[in-house]
Amino acid sequence: MTEAQLRESLHRAGYITDEALATTLWLAGELQRPLLVEGDAGVGKTALAAALSTARGQVLVRLQCHEGLDLSQAAYEWNYGRQLLAIRLHETRADRVQEADLFTRDYLLERPLLRAISSEQPCVLLIDEIDRADEAFEAFLLEVLADYQITVPELGTVRARHIPQVVLTSNGTRELSDALRRRCLYHYLEYPTLAREIAIVRSTLPGAEGLLIEQAVAFVQRLRREDLVKVPGLAETLDWVRALHRLALRELPDDPGAMMATLACLLKTREDRFQVGPQRVRQLLEGRRTAGVAEAAPQPT
Amino acid sequence: MNELARPLDSIAGFAALLRDHGLKVGVAEQQAMVQAALRLPLDRPARLDAAWRAIACHDARDWQRWPDLFERYWHPQRTRGASRISGQTRPSRALQQVVHDLHERLDAGSPSSRPAASDTALDAPPVESDDGGLARSQGGASRTDALHDRSLAQWLPQDLAQLERLAEAIAQSLRRRLTRRWQDQTRGRRLDVRRTLRASLRTGGLPLHPVWRTPRLERPRLFVLVDVSRSMQTHAQLFLRIARAFVTTMDARVFVFHTRLAEVTALLRSDSASVQDKVNAVTAGFTGGTRISTSVTDFHTVHARAQLTRNARVWVLSDGFDADEPAQLSDALARVRARGARITWLHPSERPPASQAMQLALARRGLIDRCLRLNSLQDLAKVAELLHGRQPLRSES
Repeated sequence: MTEAQLRESLHRAGYITDEALATTLWLAGELQRPLLVEGDAGVGKTALAAALSTARGQVLVRLQCHEGLDLSQAAYEWNYGRQLLAIRLHETRADRVQEADLFTRDYLLERPLLRAISSEQPCVLLIDEIDRADEAFEAFLLEVLADYQITVPELGTVRARHIPQVVLTSNGTRELSDALRRRCLYHYLEYPTLAREIAIVRSTLPGAEGLLIEQAVAFVQRLRREDLVKVPGLAETLDWVRALHRLALRELPDDPGAMMATLACLLKTREDRFQVGPQRVRQLLEGRRTAGVAEAAPQPT
Repeated sequence: MNELARPLDSIAGFAALLRDHGLKVGVAEQQAMVQAALRLPLDRPARLDAAWRAIACHDARDWQRWPDLFERYWHPQRTRGASRISGQTRPSRALQQVVHDLHERLDAGSPSSRPAASDTALDAPPVESDDGGLARSQGGASRTDALHDRSLAQWLPQDLAQLERLAEAIAQSLRRRLTRRWQDQTRGRRLDVRRTLRASLRTGGLPLHPVWRTPRLERPRLFVLVDVSRSMQTHAQLFLRIARAFVTTMDARVFVFHTRLAEVTALLRSDSASVQDKVNAVTAGFTGGTRISTSVTDFHTVHARAQLTRNARVWVLSDGFDADEPAQLSDALARVRARGARITWLHPSERPPASQAMQLALARRGLIDRCLRLNSLQDLAKVAELLHGRQPLRSES
């Protein structure tokens, strides 16, 4: 698949990407390297992996990282219950079960990493929010990402039949190790520009009024320049436009009071709700009509 | 030099420039860059920008620095004031020509032209003389920089040992914060029932391997912002040395600023005579003046955005003279404080900074936790005592 075809496929899968990201995704596939995507929450990091799997027609295997994530949850675990059952069943028979019989693939529970490695078909492996996992788990990942293999002491080394396309995401709440970073290609996903965000919302919500989408996206772009604790991401924009569409609005209401109830989709902390009151909403709305809507890309955060 | 060496030299020179600016670009990255150049269609070499950026950048800071470095190397004619002064002849920097040459040589099928082979241009990138490299990093700026004549390596061993001890004492005294999260620990006081039951499966349901948990304590995350402007030139060396001690002892992140902000944590990790040169190189492109509030805003909106939490401690090492509007500093610090981070201001003067910006900041309650003097190791010892003894806030020595 060429880079242009990949970009087109992503578009069909509902993910509108710029040329730089398409090039990086294509290169990650060509060089068979994992891709580490960083950026603020809600800019579309996880959606990128989902769209990539759809675009390539491959299965998405997802590993959601969290504190305390260990090997048994991420890679594999022996099915002890089944092993015990097998022992009890064989006790009633003449042939006794051997230890080697209990440590075969039949008794191995495949968790996402092993499932991706041993998949019969090429797949996309999403390791989501790697910064939430412990450093020890990060060290374990090095073997998987460098050699695409997992060593199970009782079985030996399981090597990948097809190199999965690995996408790691991080919100930057913890510094990742240099070793992990250097094994990956890197892309920093920023908030989309006005034109791209409008295109994304149009593509996702084709039923919504065009004028409503343009005004809403312009409002969100301007809102992102405010000093908010939680800057609204693309996911919030989609939620908000969806809510406005459900309210049968064809454009943004002039009355800030009418908009305040729907801003729960965009403002997620008490401080932000306090900061963006009706007065500020009015200013943001009026700015839309006078200053010419956020043509420039939003400042990177 | 084989026929392929010219384009490879250009790429190796670019990699050397990236290394000079703190990007971690080794042989593996260089090889990946060559592979990317070969795989991309010949008609669109400009896309190498995106491809190489993905290979050479490893974090958000590298990502932001990239466009400037790329332009400076491959399109120097577009970059104002980026004159080279080394006078050395260099391989072609026309990106399109480099890619074209690479493809051409490989298409010719010469066995010696395989990029994966042990090519000297890849294995040992041409490193320019120290003077040349420094001049390039400085963008042609004068070497008579504020910090240049003061080497970090000129400290006596006993001073360094004392500094390390003080830094460790301060690191210990920063109170660890109890979090709501629990972690596995052999001597924990709460049984993790779920994991214990899970572990008991392998022993037929007998809980022979209990898993215990204990509340997790987190050490504060320290950010040190060092003012390296002209007015601070006599103190910057001490401050950087102190900052380096905290990088070593508690993995602090260190930034320098005068008109702009730049992170120098990676440079301070290695203790060598060239550290000072590299710090100079980072700040040399900055113009005169001190913009503290602009730098603090840049710090909390860009560099430490996701890490500024209640567990963060921000130390500003500055005399407080700000070229920005006086009220802006209070606002910028208030935004840092609003994220929960606690701010300590360390100044080199006898009395707290008299600038209007600082007066406004100090007048706002709850903004600056402590405003302390720091002009010597003795002052640092007092800071350690104050932090250890938890004396009242805003102590002034």
